[in-house]
Amino acid sequence: MQSETTIKPSNNYSRPIPLLAILLVALAVHGPLLMMQLPSGSFDTNFHIFFASHYVHHWFNPWNEKWFAGFSQTTYPPLTHQWIALFSNVVGLNMGYMLVQLIAVLLLPVGVYRFARIWVDETAASCAALGSVFLGALAFLVYQAGQLATVASAALYLNALPYFYEWMTSASKLSLAKGVAIGWAAAAAHHVTLIFGLVLFAGPVLWVACLDAHKERVSASIAGAIGRAIAFAVLIGAGVGIILLPYWVAIIQHPIHQIPIPHDSRANFLLKTTAGINYFIIPYGALILALPFILWRGASAQRLRPLLWGFWVTAIFGLGGTTPLPRWLLGRAFEILTFERFTFWATLLAMPIVGQFAAEWLRRYRTKAAVGLSIAAVGTLSLALAWLAINPYRPTGTLNVDPVDAFLNRDGHDAYRYLTLGFGNELSKVSTYTDASTVDGEYNSARLLPEMTHYGSAQLTNAKFYGSAGMDSLRSMLRHASRYGLKFIFVHDPYYEPLLTFAGWRKIETFDEGSITAWEKDDVPPAHRILSDAVPPAWQGLMWGTLPIGASALAIFLEVFFPNKRRVPVSIPVHPRKENQFVA
Amino acid sequence: MKLFLIIFFVAATVALIIAGLYQTPTASADTVGITSGSSLLAPKPDTPDRALTLFLQDMQRRNWRKAFGDVAQANGVDEQAMMQEWSGSNGSLRTFSSLEGFQLWPLHESNDDAQIRAHMRWSTPVGPVEEVRDFGMQRDGNIWKVVFSKIEVPATPAQVVPVTYLRWDLVTGGESGSWGSRNVDAPRVRIISMNAVDSAEGTVIVGEVTNEDTVPAFVNVNATLSDEDGKVLDEESSFDRIAHILLPKEVSPYRIDFPGIPLADVKNVRMDVRPALVPASADPVIGVINQKIDKDAQGNSVLRGELLNQSGETVNIPHVIASFYDGNGRVIWVSDGYIDRALVPLGSEPFAVEIPRSLAAKVQSYHVVVNHYDLKNS
Amino acid sequence: MLALALACPTAAQEVTVPRSAVAGTDVTLSTTGSGKADFYLVGPGVASKSKVSLGEEIRVPGDQLRYAGKYLAIACSATCNSGEFFVTAAQPASLAFLVHPSRVPARQPDAVSGVVLLFDKFDNLVVASETINFQVKGANETLFSRAISTHDGEAWFRTSSGKTAGAVRLMAAVGDLSAQRALQQVASEPCHLRIKAQPTAKGIEVETEPVRDCAGNPISDGTIVTFTGTDPEGKISIDAPIKGDVARAHMKDAEPVVISAACGVAMSNELRIDLKR
Repeated sequence: MQSETTIKPSNNYSRPIPLLAILLVALAVHGPLLMMQLPSGSFDTNFHIFFASHYVHHWFNPWNEKWFAGFSQTTYPPLTHQWIALFSNVVGLNMGYMLVQLIAVLLLPVGVYRFARIWVDETAASCAALGSVFLGALAFLVYQAGQLATVASAALYLNALPYFYEWMTSASKLSLAKGVAIGWAAAAAHHVTLIFGLVLFAGPVLWVACLDAHKERVSASIAGAIGRAIAFAVLIGAGVGIILLPYWVAIIQHPIHQIPIPHDSRANFLLKTTAGINYFIIPYGALILALPFILWRGASAQRLRPLLWGFWVTAIFGLGGTTPLPRWLLGRAFEILTFERFTFWATLLAMPIVGQFAAEWLRRYRTKAAVGLSIAAVGTLSLALAWLAINPYRPTGTLNVDPVDAFLNRDGHDAYRYLTLGFGNELSKVSTYTDASTVDGEYNSARLLPEMTHYGSAQLTNAKFYGSAGMDSLRSMLRHASRYGLKFIFVHDPYYEPLLTFAGWRKIETFDEGSITAWEKDDVPPAHRILSDAVPPAWQGLMWGTLPIGASALAIFLEVFFPNKRRVPVSIPVHPRKENQFVA
Repeated sequence: MKLFLIIFFVAATVALIIAGLYQTPTASADTVGITSGSSLLAPKPDTPDRALTLFLQDMQRRNWRKAFGDVAQANGVDEQAMMQEWSGSNGSLRTFSSLEGFQLWPLHESNDDAQIRAHMRWSTPVGPVEEVRDFGMQRDGNIWKVVFSKIEVPATPAQVVPVTYLRWDLVTGGESGSWGSRNVDAPRVRIISMNAVDSAEGTVIVGEVTNEDTVPAFVNVNATLSDEDGKVLDEESSFDRIAHILLPKEVSPYRIDFPGIPLADVKNVRMDVRPALVPASADPVIGVINQKIDKDAQGNSVLRGELLNQSGETVNIPHVIASFYDGNGRVIWVSDGYIDRALVPLGSEPFAVEIPRSLAAKVQSYHVVVNHYDLKNS
Repeated sequence: MLALALACPTAAQEVTVPRSAVAGTDVTLSTTGSGKADFYLVGPGVASKSKVSLGEEIRVPGDQLRYAGKYLAIACSATCNSGEFFVTAAQPASLAFLVHPSRVPARQPDAVSGVVLLFDKFDNLVVASETINFQVKGANETLFSRAISTHDGEAWFRTSSGKTAGAVRLMAAVGDLSAQRALQQVASEPCHLRIKAQPTAKGIEVETEPVRDCAGNPISDGTIVTFTGTDPEGKISIDAPIKGDVARAHMKDAEPVVISAACGVAMSNELRIDLKR
């Protein structure tokens, strides 16, 4: 309290940064990178574009014949893909993806600001929001991993949580409506975020609402807050149950029984340093330096303790196999989930406290702090962007797959199925622009063919990276080439050529100055439709094509036509600190 | 409360991290072929077992410099030779292989030296390959080092090998031309024997196929099993257990596996061989010498022999397919195996293929065919 | 259209059509009556409608009669009347000559067959009987020569393959038209496989005598000869291709060895070699 008396409100460094300015910074930083289509080389971008391309042509039919000899797109929430599909009618698929990603990136600082306002004052919240623009974890997910749905869903959740808090503490019906609508939209964007967001994000918010009620900082009682939280959860649960009903049906009908697929985010980062750099150093960046402060300040203020708990649990999960906690708590799900998203969520949960830290430093050290924090923020983002070029996980990048599509689209070649080997995430790009179908695919949870689920490997195109399991899976698929009409194989890695030669394929063409070779097996009959019990009925297609996009439309409608009064949840000084506590 | 919380979070984090070091590593966290970096916490090679584990882990990560540091320097192996021996040369199967895992079996240990048998599992493009290798260990102060004995490859003297390439190319001509002017028949091939065998894994169809034509043929043998009601049980192909390109009068064994289908359930077997005209080369000629049936260390019957490259070009990946006959000349089993070292011109490499215990006593004769993959001609 | 014609009652105007016409040539139809009428022509690959004056001749241009078959001419004013006529194929303009097989072993009875189909310039099958001259010529012999009349547009022959390996020319001719095909006559199964061996500094050089079929034709290059040796160390087998009539293999052997060879169904003599003697 002693230091607060020294703060001069007229000080420029004490004033909140306007949200519009933060959005302009986000636009200035990420806009050019996205317009340059930097995420094109990321792991999942082509995958999302592929899903979107299906909605362009078959909005109400989620059964996609192009991968796995047929799979249902109801196995992945469709919101971001459907928005890409809508935008693609004007700007094409690639730019459609970039636009949706940009929207998600712009929604994030807004969400962080509004989420941080639950915990800290406006200046600190604005610092948190500005800091979120430069998060290494954000850059990692957007430009390296291409996890559009995770980013979009997290941004939406952050925007929904303040309404949840308002509803609990002030029983505002508009907040309930908005919170529920945005929550539905978030769930329609990404299912994993929905499941873990409830515990990791909503849990601390519920806790702090109860605390505030207990301390009578808000008008609600604890029982009232909890009761309203239950009502909120019921509405969210019921809505998500209906909106994503085809997803639940698909997952109940075909639970994920496949052998676990290796992923380095499950490694022990101390024993595997490259994984440590990729999944800890890069996403956290300069936030690592702030960890002691986060711990100190989070533990100091009673209101921040729920947030600290949320951050700590999420951060421990983000360490993957470095600690046994995720395995203990998740059981078999540990082998299915990847953990880089937990690190992203951990950084988001830390932002209110980091914003507090930044605000205090700015008040105290003014220009020096501004320069230091700017260097830390820009350095974090730069490091993540530089890592794109030097990390050993980077996708192969610029493979020209146009000749492959041209080959498949001519002379009736699309009557057969095909396979790519050594194409990495370019497989999705091939699939997007050809009518032919493949037995492979990039979405592991949708695989039902036994040749893929009985082995511990992911895409056949990357089979060698999964060792014997991957090669056994590939051998099994090649062995059944006649069954699937698998006649053509495109190879971008000579590693696979011995197997193809011994298995009876012949090289017939080379593309792109020999970087891709086409192989053919003579005795393979044309492909026929593989019967599957996973084909969604028409009513599910209708639901899938209307409800998720409808949820987002409802959220937009409520935000546009019923704008917020500039009312903040609570504005409580939460930091009784002594001056010498954080002076180095 | 504040202090308690801070201590709790710090202590819990440290405890969890330490616990993480002692948990069994999960296979679902490891991909092959991606640089994994080294470990921040490497144990000291203070036992022969640990020293060899560290050495093999370094070799697995292709961390040659560090692995060479684990080797006793006495036997004159240099880093380059060790690297080449381990990672292969001449485009051999070993050059495509990654060490996926290993198990160690101590053979003997004294105060200053030890002998450990390593059962290594390699991931290769043609499937997993098992290798058993004995490593000598030597004490060096308070740590142990590996005695890396280089496998001696007989050096082929420089010489001139006459090469008379015999090759068939397929000329398809242009699009124009009148009806029937470019009809070319598919090669005549014939299945000359077929036998259904009941193995522990299920039904196995073995036999031989020959090219009766005067041009090379591409062949693949498919089999369909059906039950008493005529219902199709399964359809499989010979896959890589056949020499797909057959020169005129050449005979290849084939084997088609139907895992999980007992022979008793099978009423009918429909065989289908689909030949096609393909470009081909008659080179290289590979002799199979010193063939004889022998016993391995576990007492299993194996057919051993050596491949001798009689041509002037390197055979990068040789593949041996052997058919075994009973007293009536009937094919009763087909085994195959890949050789992980390249066959240099006029060079030779040993091979061994297994014969199932249940059939070993019935084997009266055998025939070995050598299939191959050449980087140059692929 | 046919239904339309059948539905039309007989009327004053009549259409007189020729009994037959030749594809691609103009046809003139006569009509009776007076006034204007709609004229329909329906046939294979054509359905046209035009205005005509009854009582005058109707000229149907040849390009509407390119396909052989039955045509229906209908004239309709107040009522309709019709007539049918046949268009036959024009003079042969091309012949399709199909030969089977493309490779044939020497001295095989009834192994070679050929069939000719005659077409006019509009690709109509010429069903009128024509005489086709077939000739099959080997390198030094005429294997077959005969004139055969077509029935329903096709003529065929079957003959035995010749004695000598090499290219065989097959010719079919009618009038000025002719087509030529080639097939490869190849050696039959090897006959009398004999091997010989010669010790060298590096082992034993084994080779066959020129490998021929029973008619003396050299076996095709690339044909595999399997050399098999047995010595105290084990069995030796080498699959060697024939190059220039002879297959060769090298056996690195200092031990006593028994060598034989096989090619298809032919087995060779057996050689016993002991370099230590």
